[in-house]
Amino acid sequence: MTHPQPLPAAAAATPPSETQTVLLAQRGEETALDDLARSCRQQAYIFALQLTGHPDDALDVAQDAMLRFFRSLGRFDPKRPVRPWLLHIVRNLVRDRARRRRVRRTESLEPAADALRLEPSDPGPDPEALATRRQLQALAWRCLQELPPDHREVLVLRDYQGLAYAEIAAALEIPRGTVMSRLHRARRRLQELVRQRQRRTGEV
Amino acid sequence: MSASCPRAFDEAQLSGYLDGELTQAAEQKVRIHVEDCAHCRALLAELRTMREATMSTEFVAPDDRQWDERPRSGLSLLSRGAGWTLGLVWVAAVAVYGLWQLWSSAAGLVAKVLAFGGLSALALLLISVALDRLAAARTDPYREVQK
Repeated sequence: MTHPQPLPAAAAATPPSETQTVLLAQRGEETALDDLARSCRQQAYIFALQLTGHPDDALDVAQDAMLRFFRSLGRFDPKRPVRPWLLHIVRNLVRDRARRRRVRRTESLEPAADALRLEPSDPGPDPEALATRRQLQALAWRCLQELPPDHREVLVLRDYQGLAYAEIAAALEIPRGTVMSRLHRARRRLQELVRQRQRRTGEV
Repeated sequence: MSASCPRAFDEAQLSGYLDGELTQAAEQKVRIHVEDCAHCRALLAELRTMREATMSTEFVAPDDRQWDERPRSGLSLLSRGAGWTLGLVWVAAVAVYGLWQLWSSAAGLVAKVLAFGGLSALALLLISVALDRLAAARTDPYREVQK
């Protein structure tokens, strides 16, 4: 190759080590398969927890997701990043579970409060601001499960998972413009729910 | 803050602005609008606070012992399958041989019927469980994940 190649954009590129791990795993290399299992199952669990609100459900979904993940590993293109694919599997499983159980939004239980790590790892210079933020985090977590599923999905993918709009559009199979408008509606609704709860309980 | 912008500004742009997902021109428009519009300025501040809170939320993950083992590779699955098949064939062969020995022995008719009855019941139960498992595996909607 005579021309210097421009560096790919950081967000779009798949880390070379990940491609390598996937390739080795596809060839049946045990260490690579273990590495992949370890890194993916925690991600699958956290995402499932954010969507369902319950650690037990999340663990079930994550176990199932890992099974699907390894079954379809042979057909996966190693040049693509693994995370959106994994999140896509988890999201389909969560939707399927909700459909099968016919869980209606009004019937959903309060999400598990102990799912959040609220003790500060670094108290920082302003403990009072930190305490306020922790309260807001707990409130938002409680209200998240009251959002309709399509709003919750987009909000979780953006604000809890940190995906870019283009990645969310690909994962949910919707146009990028829809991501922005749906995300905004979801944020407004969450804000409203948090405010209602604050009024009801007198929390900050 | 549930009303919408009095100047009919597309509020979704505020979310795009916070996430750094707008073009430079669109970003500039938001900046200019927000300077002028108290409603959108307040909304932007609220959205920012909430976004900072959600983005910094940390979750408790289960420790490694709670996970099922990952599915084994092709070779180990194959040897496990072969092991189970050989084991089952062995059990069946021993059972048939034992029954044949019993039938051709000098034991009384009552003893023969009791032995046959009990063993057939066990065999039928085993077959029904195996059939159920097979049906469940066939109707699993997520045998192959989409994409």
